[in-house]
Amino acid sequence: MDATQSLRYFGPELVLTAAIMAVLALDLGLTARGIERSRWPGIVALAGAAAAIGSAVRLLRVPAREWLFGRMLVFDGFSVYFKVLLGLALLAAVWMSLGSREVRGQPNEGEYFTLLLSSGLAMLLMAAAANLLMAYLSLEFASLTSYVLTGFLRHNRRSAEAALKYLIYGGVASGAMIYGMSWIFGLTGSMDYAGIAAGIAQLDDPSRGAFFLALVLVLAGFGYKVASVPFHMWAPDVYTGAPIPVTAFLAVGSKAAGFAMLLRFFHFGVGAAGPVGAVTRVPLLQLGTLLCAATMTLGNLAALSQQNMKRLLAYSSIAHAGYALLGFVVFADAGVQAVLFYLTVYYIMNLGAFWVVMLIANATGHEDLPSYRGLAWRGGALPALALAIFLFSLAGLPPLAGFVGKFYVFGAGVERGLIALVVVGVLNSVVSLYYYVRVVKTMFLDEPRAEDAPVHFALNDLAAVGLLSAATLVLGIRFDWLLARVETARRIFAG
Amino acid sequence: MKFQYVPVLIAFGLGGLVAAVFVAAGMFLGPRRPSPVKEAAFECGNPPSGPAWGRFSVKFYLTAILFIVFDVEVVFMYPWAVLFRPLGVFGLVEMSVFVLVLTVGLVYVWRKGALEWD
Amino acid sequence: MTAPVFLLLAVLVVAAALTVVAHPSPVYSACALVVTLFLLSVFFVALDAQLVAVLQVIVYAGAIVVLFLFVIMLLNLTQPESRPTAGVPVVAVAVGGGIGIAALVAAALRRVPPAGAPALPEGFGDTAALARRLFTAYVLPFELTSVLLLVAIVGAVGLASRKG
Repeated sequence: MDATQSLRYFGPELVLTAAIMAVLALDLGLTARGIERSRWPGIVALAGAAAAIGSAVRLLRVPAREWLFGRMLVFDGFSVYFKVLLGLALLAAVWMSLGSREVRGQPNEGEYFTLLLSSGLAMLLMAAAANLLMAYLSLEFASLTSYVLTGFLRHNRRSAEAALKYLIYGGVASGAMIYGMSWIFGLTGSMDYAGIAAGIAQLDDPSRGAFFLALVLVLAGFGYKVASVPFHMWAPDVYTGAPIPVTAFLAVGSKAAGFAMLLRFFHFGVGAAGPVGAVTRVPLLQLGTLLCAATMTLGNLAALSQQNMKRLLAYSSIAHAGYALLGFVVFADAGVQAVLFYLTVYYIMNLGAFWVVMLIANATGHEDLPSYRGLAWRGGALPALALAIFLFSLAGLPPLAGFVGKFYVFGAGVERGLIALVVVGVLNSVVSLYYYVRVVKTMFLDEPRAEDAPVHFALNDLAAVGLLSAATLVLGIRFDWLLARVETARRIFAG
Repeated sequence: MKFQYVPVLIAFGLGGLVAAVFVAAGMFLGPRRPSPVKEAAFECGNPPSGPAWGRFSVKFYLTAILFIVFDVEVVFMYPWAVLFRPLGVFGLVEMSVFVLVLTVGLVYVWRKGALEWD
Repeated sequence: MTAPVFLLLAVLVVAAALTVVAHPSPVYSACALVVTLFLLSVFFVALDAQLVAVLQVIVYAGAIVVLFLFVIMLLNLTQPESRPTAGVPVVAVAVGGGIGIAALVAAALRRVPPAGAPALPEGFGDTAALARRLFTAYVLPFELTSVLLLVAIVGAVGLASRKG
């Protein structure tokens, strides 16, 4: 489909671009009038994100599956599903920012919201990219905005340090990735995924070894985006240093966009050429299994001893990338479906957890575990309850949404015969229970001491958290609704 | 194909050669009789006032990165200019959108006062 | 490109790149980077990618290294010896890893049979051919680049113009 026809299927991206321009124009207008602080950039950004979701939801009903803009992007149920999910992540990040003490009161809020919206735009493109060039460009676009957002806090050394670390790790990973991409292009003679799949089918046996090496290099770039071991080292520092809304957006949006790229590349570019074992001489399956097991285990073990909530959630998000990778290692439609379901559930419970952490940081000024002591008994009963729901769901306890998500991922693994990996996953869930419960125990069972001041939470600040915890409860029981959505979205357009 | 660039190579070579010849001629032909008066900085700069590797202001960095951004913008115009007529209206619209977006950037930098030095 | 010319250039470019990594003074490293990038552009000419070669010189060897120099000056690294020296284990790991990757690449390449290079189409790599692809097949990446550059401007202004 050529460029002008493609625009019909490009609504969410166009809406976000317009919103970016609107926020910039508004920011300039405010600067011209000498207004330093205003709510309006955030409100316009919120409206832009909501409009983008609306546009994406309308596309959900379009059954077409097409190449867009020549052979750059694809339009299919998979990409639209991710666009809705990423749009919701963006909306939540903007909403969180509007209530964040770290972000509000900074004199360059217009820039902040511009960058946040651009980051969202880049992630939408990542979800639909089916061409090595577009994949690289959108991934770099998302990374660039994330670096600046991470370092957004003025006069905060940790924020600046986190941005620098993120930048350096990102540079190395994307360098490895584009080198691998150049090999893939050289071996298959094509940049779009369908062409790559056709090219692989014609590779002779010896060149498959070279192709496998290229896949490993590309995996470095994707692995960095989803924070999988051994490309996870940036995550704890970045999650701790960045403002909490940005951390939540990176943990939820960036990870989902990375998984969208990973799944599309391996199921559509590489996988379409036949079963994965046949594609490369050296087994990709074993490599994936190893990465998955290492990611789950390392994330959970490192989380055990964390005292800072953001750092704890960072390691927990690494572990959850490991669970989702299990669905990826299945290398079949059932796996894609499980990952989609898992990422959606993860979106709800992880976002909720970060939101509560932000509210508590707003109220107490601290993010470390000791400041949560007896929180439930000094005015924070509702947020403590919500956080307990999110953490139990993250641990995968029934009847919460996290349990259903894990059930489907592990189920897909068992069906594929990955019993050992599933056992590792279940053991990891048990380990993770320890550090999640420790937080809950601190909030409910520890007595508040004299120096712990009482805290107050406005009810309207708790609205979003209440919504998310309700969703965690409801999806734990009525998961068939989400499952039906995921089933229509799992089919990836194969050119 | 690549031999069409041989003249460029020759031009580079000639440029280097001319420079080398001038330097060599000065070295070999000129008499050398240094004296303190001759070595003073006279009508060719000031005496140095501090180390050359001083700390620069971040303003230089901002200017440099803005230069790169607009440099990259202009770079895209070379191929467009080569194919200006065959690309027709579509190419014109494409380039207009591209330049328009970056003009927003220019206006932004300007109005934000990022180009002012103080 | 004939083999002796390639070998000469390859040795030069690797030497220059090693200088970038190993030289104690960051300013000299940046200057060695100019040499590296310039030599790379010669490779691009040899690969019939003339426009890329020219852009390499204009954008990278020209503008980006200047930016690097400004950043180095901003960091105020007046004493070259103030740079922390890596311990023996770190160097050993780096060298070992580098050799390992090189061996892996060499092994992978050895398995690929040297296919006869396909004949290049007429006008391959010249500016007109590149422009035709860029402005027709790659419209979306091209337009997206403008948004990316705009956001880069906003980010740079946000980071660099912090008051106080």
